[in-house]
Amino acid sequence: MPGKCAHKADTRLTLTSRLAELSRVWPWVDALAAEYGLSGETHYAINLCLEEALSNIIRHGYSGQPDHAITIDFTSLGTSLTFTIEDQAPHFTPMEPADSRPAASIEEYQPGGLGVPLMRRFAGTLHWEPLPHGNRLTIGFAAARSSEK
Amino acid sequence: MQISIEELDGGITRAVLEGRLDIEGAAAVDLKMNVLAGSKMLLLIDLHKVTFLGSMGLRSLVVPAQTIHRRGGKAVLFAPTGMVEEVLTASKIDSIVPIHHELSAALAALK
Repeated sequence: MPGKCAHKADTRLTLTSRLAELSRVWPWVDALAAEYGLSGETHYAINLCLEEALSNIIRHGYSGQPDHAITIDFTSLGTSLTFTIEDQAPHFTPMEPADSRPAASIEEYQPGGLGVPLMRRFAGTLHWEPLPHGNRLTIGFAAARSSEK
Repeated sequence: MQISIEELDGGITRAVLEGRLDIEGAAAVDLKMNVLAGSKMLLLIDLHKVTFLGSMGLRSLVVPAQTIHRRGGKAVLFAPTGMVEEVLTASKIDSIVPIHHELSAALAALK
């Protein structure tokens, strides 16, 4: 299993490294959104960032190899919500600046490379650190509640 | 994710996408979108029923639009809502594939 977090998670979701497993994330996030009364925008942002992060881990970190573990720990503290994703993939640094210059025209467009910029845009905080055998990505959101819209 | 196709006047094809355009949704529509990209010249990609859009879904929209453009045709994105539109603008896709919220403007852009 991936390395221990220093915090105690409110809840944990464990996936295997198959893209089909991402279908398990949506209902888990839906339940959290309902429990914490999250706004639609925060709910969307969480789903977006988790999908981008997890698909990167599965497709790039694990190179599409199935049956490896990925854990997602959720913690809440006041108005902060944190998702901590750990894997056992080779060190994969999603925070490295890539050539994420947007295409200037439709002719120049190349698929890919938008996942990390979208995470940067829609997450409150984003932090990557290496583990002895894997990676830890921590994604933070300010918990805008649906009543605050 | 579902896709329905409607032929409009003036040789315009309207592709209505419905549901989540996540990784799974993108895989569900890619074949049909690519067939449209290879066969149609004027494509209105209707997003008003799309409830989620991620980076894989962006690919499913822009690659067909690019293919049509290279064939000498045009494609527009129609009526994305809320956070879906925010993803399009955050990724600057709106600067390479036009977005219209009024149908008349979208149709005019394809003429």
